[in-house]
Amino acid sequence: MDPYSAEGELVNIHNAYHQGQYQKVIDFDTSSFSSSNAFPARILKLRAKIALGQYSQVLAETKSQPNNPDLAALHCLASYLQNSSNSDAPVSSARNLAEKHGDNLTVQLCCGTVLANAGANEEALALLAKHQGSLDAVALIVQIHLQQNRVDLAAKEAKNARGWAQDALVVNLVESWVGLREGGEKYQQAYYVFEELAQASATQSVQSLVGQAVSEIHLGRLAEAEAALQQARDLDGGMLMSQLESVALKHQMLEDIAAKKQAFDAACAKYNPKFEP
Amino acid sequence: MSSLTMLTKFESKSSRAKGIAFHPRRPHVLVSLHSSTIQLWDYRMGTLLDRFEEHDGPVRAVDFHPSQPLFVSGGDDYKIKVWSLQTRRCLYTLNGHLDYVRSVSFHSQMPWVLSCSDDQTIRIWNWQNRSLICTMTGHTHYVMAAKFHPTEDLIASASLDQSVRVWDISGLRKKHSAPTSMTFEDQMARANANQADMFGNTDAIVKFVLEGHDRGVNDISWHKTLPLLVSAGDDRLVKLWRMSETKAWEVDTCRGHFQNVSQCCFHPSQDLILSVGEDKTLRVWDLNKRTSVASFKRENDRFWVIASHPNLNLFAAGHDSGVMVFKLERERPASTTYQNQLFYVTRDKHVRSYDFSKNVESPPMLSLKKLGSPWIPPRTLSYNPAERAILVTSPADGGSYELISLPRDASGAVEPTDTKRGFGNSAVFVARNRFAVFQQATQQIDIKDLSNSTTKTVKPPHGTTDIYWGGPGCLLLITPTAVVLYDIQQKKQLAELAVNAVKYVVWSNDSQYAALLSKHNVTIVTKNLAQVSTLHETIRIKSATWDDTGVLLYSTLNHVKYSLMNGDNGIVMTLDNVAYLQHVKGRTLYCLDRAAKPKLLTIDPTEYRFKLALVKRNYDEMLNIIQNGSLVGQSIIGYVQKKGYPEIALQFVQDPQTRFELAIECGNLDVAVEMAKQLDRPKLWQRLSTEALAHGNHQIVEMAYQKLRSFDKLSFLYLATGDQEKLTRMAKIAEHRGDMTSRFQNALYLGDAENRIEMFKEIDMYPLAYMAAKAHGLEEQCQTILEASGLSEDQIVPATLGEALSPPKPVVPTYKANWPTKGTSASIFEKALLGQTEGLEDDLLAPAANGYAADNQPESSAPHDGALGDAEDDEDAAGWDMGDDADVEAESDFVNVESADTGAGSSEADMWARNSPIAADHVAAGSFETAMQLLNRQIGAVNFKPLESRFEEIYQSTRTYLPANAGMPPLVNYVRRTLDETDSRRILPLIPRDLESIVTVEMAAGKSAMQKNKLEEGVQTFKKVLHLLMVNTVASPQQQQEAKAIIHTAAQYVLAMSIELERRKLTSNSTDLSSFPDDVKKRSLELSAYFTVPDIDPAHKTLALFAAMNFANKNKQYSTALSFANALINRGTSAKFKESARKIKALCERNPSDAIDIDFDQFADFDVCGASYTPIYDGSPSASSPFSGVRYHTKFKGTVCRVDEVCQIGAPASGLRLFA
Repeated sequence: MDPYSAEGELVNIHNAYHQGQYQKVIDFDTSSFSSSNAFPARILKLRAKIALGQYSQVLAETKSQPNNPDLAALHCLASYLQNSSNSDAPVSSARNLAEKHGDNLTVQLCCGTVLANAGANEEALALLAKHQGSLDAVALIVQIHLQQNRVDLAAKEAKNARGWAQDALVVNLVESWVGLREGGEKYQQAYYVFEELAQASATQSVQSLVGQAVSEIHLGRLAEAEAALQQARDLDGGMLMSQLESVALKHQMLEDIAAKKQAFDAACAKYNPKFEP
Repeated sequence: MSSLTMLTKFESKSSRAKGIAFHPRRPHVLVSLHSSTIQLWDYRMGTLLDRFEEHDGPVRAVDFHPSQPLFVSGGDDYKIKVWSLQTRRCLYTLNGHLDYVRSVSFHSQMPWVLSCSDDQTIRIWNWQNRSLICTMTGHTHYVMAAKFHPTEDLIASASLDQSVRVWDISGLRKKHSAPTSMTFEDQMARANANQADMFGNTDAIVKFVLEGHDRGVNDISWHKTLPLLVSAGDDRLVKLWRMSETKAWEVDTCRGHFQNVSQCCFHPSQDLILSVGEDKTLRVWDLNKRTSVASFKRENDRFWVIASHPNLNLFAAGHDSGVMVFKLERERPASTTYQNQLFYVTRDKHVRSYDFSKNVESPPMLSLKKLGSPWIPPRTLSYNPAERAILVTSPADGGSYELISLPRDASGAVEPTDTKRGFGNSAVFVARNRFAVFQQATQQIDIKDLSNSTTKTVKPPHGTTDIYWGGPGCLLLITPTAVVLYDIQQKKQLAELAVNAVKYVVWSNDSQYAALLSKHNVTIVTKNLAQVSTLHETIRIKSATWDDTGVLLYSTLNHVKYSLMNGDNGIVMTLDNVAYLQHVKGRTLYCLDRAAKPKLLTIDPTEYRFKLALVKRNYDEMLNIIQNGSLVGQSIIGYVQKKGYPEIALQFVQDPQTRFELAIECGNLDVAVEMAKQLDRPKLWQRLSTEALAHGNHQIVEMAYQKLRSFDKLSFLYLATGDQEKLTRMAKIAEHRGDMTSRFQNALYLGDAENRIEMFKEIDMYPLAYMAAKAHGLEEQCQTILEASGLSEDQIVPATLGEALSPPKPVVPTYKANWPTKGTSASIFEKALLGQTEGLEDDLLAPAANGYAADNQPESSAPHDGALGDAEDDEDAAGWDMGDDADVEAESDFVNVESADTGAGSSEADMWARNSPIAADHVAAGSFETAMQLLNRQIGAVNFKPLESRFEEIYQSTRTYLPANAGMPPLVNYVRRTLDETDSRRILPLIPRDLESIVTVEMAAGKSAMQKNKLEEGVQTFKKVLHLLMVNTVASPQQQQEAKAIIHTAAQYVLAMSIELERRKLTSNSTDLSSFPDDVKKRSLELSAYFTVPDIDPAHKTLALFAAMNFANKNKQYSTALSFANALINRGTSAKFKESARKIKALCERNPSDAIDIDFDQFADFDVCGASYTPIYDGSPSASSPFSGVRYHTKFKGTVCRVDEVCQIGAPASGLRLFA
């Protein structure tokens, strides 16, 4: 049986990961899992730690395993994210792993993430295209397409995934991501997906609440969006704008704002206003 | 006397229960507690569904609405609460009672709630419009209970004033006539219109006052159909009352309780009365004889409440430590089946039969009224077809049986004439002329003949509780822990099986198997009592019957299920009410319901028939089911695959991945190809190619290799199959790809020496080229090569040349057809499905029950053949032969290697800039440069620094950041104002702060600053308005006009306030100018006058005029002051100011002259220059800001507008665009 199918052992922990409930993934009791699922579950837990920024823990746990492609890939991703300013080593190690173990799913996901982050989108896509029916890979592919503003390709990928994974959580999520770019009725559909996750206590997370808020903003329902964000903030214990800088120095928004400031000044410089006659 | 038993279904533990209500349809009961909680229990499952905790203090009454999802409660907090069962929330509270609320109940048709209270009133409320519609006064002490009559417009109430009252409320009903024909609004209107006269007592009239109790009366209940009432009182009595149109009287009294009687009610279907009391007893009385029938005592708990179910034979009683739900009689009808006949005892104790073959119910055949106690139905029925006699047992009087001959013709419920009876707990026929009677007390089984004389006595094992027929001459003896098969003739135990607490035994139709039913287990045994299988149910098992094929159908409280002999089981259908299964025939399941009425249920036997067919390897049946049935679902697929039939599972699976796996597993390449195409993943193609190769299906292999772009493998495949043409094409492809090795390989396969030589030359391997040419005897080529490398033949040491290698030429066009090497679809089943089984029928299908009927085969011949046979050679091969297309595709792909459909597109933000001529949209797009160009062109904007924050604000608020994959940056999304638009050519960004918000926030704040004389703040606010509108968008041309008007106003305010601020700066805000030099005085007075010029709101202009008037007056500028005074009188908006203007006018008119001559012509029209604050008279040259419209003297032309701070004065401009 597919361990990710509705009755499979991994479905809950896997869903928790994609719902952004990373701590839940880490705390998940996997002691009863069958031996074939134990390792994928461990990988998921390590990925969840990476998502929570616990890089050094992951690095320590994966350090002495260079011959295990899964752990090596996780090591590569964690070291990249820990210090992305010094990214040459992890990126080349990602390329290396992709070359040697391109069929390994963890390699596809982790190295794909590193490569995409490093701007090597086509390489990342080529690596991820080797997946054998992994929704995680689909999610990454869709995101990369969207980042490249190829909504058409992203939609195609999502539709394809719906063909074989039906109503899986990740399929709904990626459709929502695409929907938020497509607009129109898709806004409301995306909202339904996020809202369903965000408002059920079992699946609620900052991520799902933010998703709900974002879709509400796009629907022009600002007061509701604010309420959802407040809920997210309450859940998280207050992640404010000022904290954003310390948490995610390289957050796209901050980088973007800085870049736009420069662009503004540059554009201003083309004019030469006179103030006195 | 009493063998009426209490069958407890459910008990709860809680604090004192004061109110109980049964849900009319669901197995739910509401219990209100003395502790203020209301509990909702599922009494069937024994689970607490919910708790409602809004009352303050004890809750004495609850009631479910008979049809709506509502319930009502009343308590010691004087409140009546109406609750929604759907949301589980209190909808609203009815306030009005002035003391404890004792009872609440819904009317069955009208939207009414009836309540009574210690405030001595009874009230009726309309729960739809939440109003009090009637208050009944008359009782002189607490009213303990009030109940609507089930059908008539009557209410009965019981009070501690020792009386019971019957009230006529037909007046009230008339007033609120037929609710069904009225809408809710109508009812509201009507109720409100009549409200005024509704508080009088005329709507409810006391009809009877029943006196008889000599203590307070606690409860009163109506009989469902008869004009009877029953009451319970603190005088320990239960009284029965009768009523006619004109009078009411006491009938009799039931004596027995030795403490206060709390509540009482009629049995809904039998002539019984139930009462509960503080003496810890629940008593049952005979309604006709008023004698006690039964009494049930609790050890420690006083009873407070009793309720009967509105539809079912269920009661609930509440006491000091919880609630018990119980029945007073078994509902399982005594019944037995013989062949196509069902015999059963009805509720009114008539024996009837039912014919399954004709679906006809017989008229009553016998009456068993005299058997046992009148309140207790018979327990079992045993039928003797030889004698056409029945044996009936009844638990009454310690257990008794009766042997009765059935009349030849059923002609009505006749009293039996010739009956034999005796004592015994169980009695069953064991032979044509013998029956066994078991007496539990004596632990003895008597075998009797039909004249009721004992022929033999048997001592059963110790602890035997029941006996059943056990096959010819045998009995099954039931003990709490085992079942024993006992041979009566030999008087010995044949077998024993440990099964706990068996309650019923159901034999299969051929008497080969029996099902032993316990409360939670079903055990299937053979006739020799060998266990076949057993299964466990969490829900109570009620009954079972066997299908002709040996499938057991059994019912639980809420399901009909099936079990195969091997223990495989599943759900057949869901039940709303308990059904006692009797017989199954095809899709019809016969059962008796609780009312002992035959019921026919339609079931879908597909699932169990299919499983049975699989177990029995009855492929014919399976085929039949698959072709006709709609058998899908994960469970059946998993089941079939688990049992080792992937090819069958394939018929059901829809998930492509699973289909692929199954198809590979059973060698169905067609399906595998179809799925591989759908999923299109390299690994699948890989597996498919391997599998297809093993099958010798090289056409599929070819396709898979093409998909995988395995060029070398493809070449080799073409070589092996002798497809020269495609091999040639492969060579071309290799050339295009610049893959030398591949090219060499292909040339070798093709025996194309020229090409090889050409290739060697291309890559400067002249020696090899030369050798190749030489070996193939191509002397001309040799010469060319020598020339090209600048050598002559003698300079070369020739190597020994072997014979030129050339590949064998294909003799047979193998590539045109497949070469099946592996028999596929060996499964009999699949062949059956494809209609190829005629020949196999005998040897392989022999074990199947029916063999094969040839007639259902021929039509279904090979619609989707596997890889077998010749049929597919031409057509199918042609279908598969996609080589041409695929090759072309491969070629083109590799000729333009990088033209793939990837790479980045343009973002939505870029679209915005493309789609709009509005500067704000360009800002949102992040295209600041074009935004500035637009602003420059439209309004001559040159100084953008003041707009920086506005730019930032717009840019930031048009983007959202959605966290997606962990480790990846969030996804940026673009917020639109065109919410419904999906055409990328028409989408536009949302621009924050629309016109309305600017008017209500900033404009209002600016004007308020003016009012409060906070001018610095005002200037900033109005400038902000200007900047907000400068980079903005509106929804319509009208709004654009509106926006322009606001820009004008805001600019004028900035100008006015700046002039006044300038004046204040000049004199440090002092009003007395005497100490200043003349030029300062003059300028100061001028500025004061100019302050009145800008076009601001009249109210504010009034302020400016008033200030200027006073300032001028104070500084002896009487002429100027006079002109301001006049202006104030004419245009001013304040009466106070006008008054003061009149005074000054009077004063100034005496001496209308100015002390200092200032540059202010009160009669001329002029504007004030925005930079110098000096007049620009009409007609004199000036320049203005294209945005703010403020005028300047020409010398300021080319500088930045002082008011809007952005635009260049006098610049050419096309005008601001806010609307696309």
